[in-house]
Amino acid sequence: MTLARVKGTVVSTHKPSSMEGMRFLLLEKIDPVTLVGKGDYVVGIDSVGANAGEVVFYVTGSSARMTDVTKGKPADAAVIAVVDTIEKDGNLTYQKSEAAG
Amino acid sequence: MTLAMVRGNVVATKRADNVEGAKWLLVEECTQSGDGKGEYLVGLDMVGAGPGQLVLLTQGSSCRWTRRTDERPMDTLVVAIVDAIHGAERALYRAE
Repeated sequence: MTLARVKGTVVSTHKPSSMEGMRFLLLEKIDPVTLVGKGDYVVGIDSVGANAGEVVFYVTGSSARMTDVTKGKPADAAVIAVVDTIEKDGNLTYQKSEAAG
Repeated sequence: MTLAMVRGNVVATKRADNVEGAKWLLVEECTQSGDGKGEYLVGLDMVGAGPGQLVLLTQGSSCRWTRRTDERPMDTLVVAIVDAIHGAERALYRAE
């Protein structure tokens, strides 16, 4: 699974009917130690209710079709978790703020 | 499979993976000598690995070939803790 920060949403009205109702999230991969964005973006389907600003992790490839939202759909990146904390070498590098929800 | 070093852990309560009792490890991809490459992943712990241990990662659809992860959206598993790596001429890595 890859760590990323939700930077926004992607809107598309012209898409397969099987993908209607899906929420597309614009994700930027991050370094989990510095939390700095890598400038590398992907669009992931939201299966967990993630919001802009939150750190999440996502799955790619055929595993992205295994969520309740994406089952049987043409998806290859799915956000499956909103991160509360990241700890490295005994130190917290990230803690989700209460204000962020 | 690839080699990685366990650096810490990731906690997430809001999840959609349906994996029971999941523990997420922060792992850094590394060389056969255990040197980190600066690239990190989150892996589902299958073996009780902890910080400082060199582990084997399975990635991709193969991750779904365990009872716990069958039909689950998982693409990175920590499947083994490495004790030692032997090169042709010398030992490359040995767990402390």
